[in-house]
Amino acid sequence: MTTNITRRTMLRLASGGVVAAALAAPTVLRAQGVYPDRPINVVVPFDTGGYNDRLSRAFAPFLQERLGQPLNIINRGGAGALLGHTYFLQQPDDGYTLLCTSAAPYIPLNILTQDAPFNLEDFHMINLPSQDYTLLARSAESDITDIGEVIEKLKADPGSLSIGVQPASADLVNLMLLADANGIARDRLRIVTFDGGGPARNAVAGNVVDIGLAGGQGFLPLAEKIKPLLVYEKVQRDGWGGKLVTELSGADTAFVYGSQRGWGVHSSLVAGSPEIYDTILTAVEATSKDPKVIEALTAQQLATDWYGPEASNAALASTARVMEQHLDLLKGA
Amino acid sequence: MLDLASIQGAFDLLTSSASAWVFVIPGLLIGLFFGSMPGISITMAMAIFLPMTLYMDFLPAIIFLTAIYTGAGFGGSVPAVLMNIPGTSSAVATTFDGYPMARSGRHNEALGVALAASVTGCLASYLLLLFLIVPVSSVVLKMGPLEMSAVAIWGMLLLGSLSGNSLPRGLLAGVFGLLLGTVGMNTAGYVRGTMGVPWLLDGVPTIPAMMGLLAASQLIGLVNTKYLIEDEGSRKISFAKIIGGFRLSLSFPTIILRGSLIGVIIGAIPGVGSSISNLLSYSETKRNAPDGDSFGRGNPKGVAAAEAANSSSEGGAMATMLALGIPGGGATAILLAAFATHNIVGGPSFIANSKDIVYAIILSNFAQALLLLGVGLGFVYLAGYIVRVPMRFLIPSVLVVAVFGSYAIDGTISGPITLVVFAILGWAMVRYDYPVAATVVGLLLGSLVEGNLLRTWQISGGDPAYALERPGALLIFALMALSIGLTAWSARRRRRAAIPAAGSG
Repeated sequence: MTTNITRRTMLRLASGGVVAAALAAPTVLRAQGVYPDRPINVVVPFDTGGYNDRLSRAFAPFLQERLGQPLNIINRGGAGALLGHTYFLQQPDDGYTLLCTSAAPYIPLNILTQDAPFNLEDFHMINLPSQDYTLLARSAESDITDIGEVIEKLKADPGSLSIGVQPASADLVNLMLLADANGIARDRLRIVTFDGGGPARNAVAGNVVDIGLAGGQGFLPLAEKIKPLLVYEKVQRDGWGGKLVTELSGADTAFVYGSQRGWGVHSSLVAGSPEIYDTILTAVEATSKDPKVIEALTAQQLATDWYGPEASNAALASTARVMEQHLDLLKGA
Repeated sequence: MLDLASIQGAFDLLTSSASAWVFVIPGLLIGLFFGSMPGISITMAMAIFLPMTLYMDFLPAIIFLTAIYTGAGFGGSVPAVLMNIPGTSSAVATTFDGYPMARSGRHNEALGVALAASVTGCLASYLLLLFLIVPVSSVVLKMGPLEMSAVAIWGMLLLGSLSGNSLPRGLLAGVFGLLLGTVGMNTAGYVRGTMGVPWLLDGVPTIPAMMGLLAASQLIGLVNTKYLIEDEGSRKISFAKIIGGFRLSLSFPTIILRGSLIGVIIGAIPGVGSSISNLLSYSETKRNAPDGDSFGRGNPKGVAAAEAANSSSEGGAMATMLALGIPGGGATAILLAAFATHNIVGGPSFIANSKDIVYAIILSNFAQALLLLGVGLGFVYLAGYIVRVPMRFLIPSVLVVAVFGSYAIDGTISGPITLVVFAILGWAMVRYDYPVAATVVGLLLGSLVEGNLLRTWQISGGDPAYALERPGALLIFALMALSIGLTAWSARRRRRAAIPAAGSG
């Protein structure tokens, strides 16, 4: 039996097939790889045990059920989240790296005070469920009666009370706004700087400082050791019952919120791979609204409220603007 | 102060089901294993296993995690003794005498001493906790910056006794360490000495720096030796000798009791904990021991002092966590997270309403300490085989483990780079007879001293009369002065006693 196919033709066909296969391969792979087809990393730019770490670990089991791939939590603490945020942006924007962070105040702080190699616009927040607020409190043992007495004492002598606060924080900005509103000289205040909200709260509870300002949610375990004097919010939160800043200085008074924490992705993912972004958005939204998740997270004093990307990014941008106005307070106190 | 009804309730809780006990031994083994890996901290070990506890009941979950805590607390002393690597900063003082003991062939004894001191320290701390949980927690919050400065300065007294042959060199090395400890952002928000490197904003990474200074520098110096222990006959792994070390340790009850007391008190202070308590206990023991001069050359009392203090810090940290609901460090933060997942919030109301659970946790820790005895004996017996490994295999392996460990801490190359830089620095310091240990102590204390002195100044507005308002701080300073005075007095008496003896001999 003879055949028309010469050796040359055979080779040509074979090589053509190889080329065709090579050309076809990526499309084939792409067609198989419906996002997500491998585990997803969640970068937490803080060490284990903090709020974001707890939030991510509590939320992840539910989110991974919806995404269909396991989530790995990666803690990259250090330098006020600068290292973790930088690391996150260095990862490919393919939807396989998510971020769980205290977007405010840390992203603006990184940018404003630490020469961060990124901009606010590089981050896209899917949802920031946790919005902390500043609480001004005194020890349960102290005999200061109310915020009125604090202001009177500081007006008479700004150095009369020692004030515990974390440097470069929303709490410090709020303290200074209070001083400005009441004509108290900023630079004569007796400010005691602590390495974080936790140590500042402990100092308040132990009556080591006369008054202190720190995130209100962190004060909850110490509720019996302190007395709240002023809540920097428009509405009562967590049942503190201290005076609201809007009651004290009017509804249009200026103040900043504390940590705004939650979930984010690369901004470039939103524009570059809208389908992948939609998958993540839908999964985070459904998980946040799941009654089972709400119950589990509320039990751990973690927030799951759904605000969505638009409100979350707007809140972050607005905090960043106020922080920029008070830049002088955020650099070395 | 003991509530017998609650203790009865705690017994009922613990004996009602076996599930509370199933996890103790796995927890201890996990802790021992992770704790003995340089660079893997207690916190990390607990964080890795935290998700598992979501599917457990509350009490078994907490017992499992505290078992990891207890195991890892001792695990760190194994590499400290055998390789001069403090796996965590709480085992720094263990290396001072533990490693010299190992090198002179007394590794079995050293590990036995360490284990016994750890177990008794842990037991003593929980015993103290049983009675003192409420008073301790009220003292903790009263610790202001002046009191903390006093504690830190007390710790610095150790610098003098680590100076080796030359006091000026020792002090210079210590001051160098203190300066290194101030690198990064200080408590008032100023950034110093980072040379623009973002990884230095939180200060020099302590654990890789310690591993470099203490271990890597030692190993480089040992390249020409064949075995860790020169004398072949001493390279035995002997169970009897481990037990001997055990007995030896129990013959220093004062040292262990003092270590436990220091450990509980310092461990209860948030943010300080076992990394300072082991140094303080070592320093106090050295100054009060009649054979203080032999510390640093393999005196088992040094190992006992350090281990009793770092193990008992766990009890102190638990007191703060249970009574106040605030974490003293990473490990207790993880425990609080585990509490939270089971819908339990630590704090004063928790102690008041759930005394039976608090006592159950304390009682189960007694059991853990006793079980650690058994599990730990097996563990150190196996770990002892390291001395039989020829140095040409051991040095590279340990260096590799140290590099991986320093990478594991935060998963960046900053750890290994720090390790290498400090290894070279440490080698040069050893070569020119500067004591590396003094630099390590300075590095650990630097930011603590600076931050608290600064806060004292801020709080007092520069007025020295502030000290009079802080009786606690005055008490600490008085105790410190008394301790130094007594040492000087007893040293003089010993010299007086020694001179006639020498004269007649």
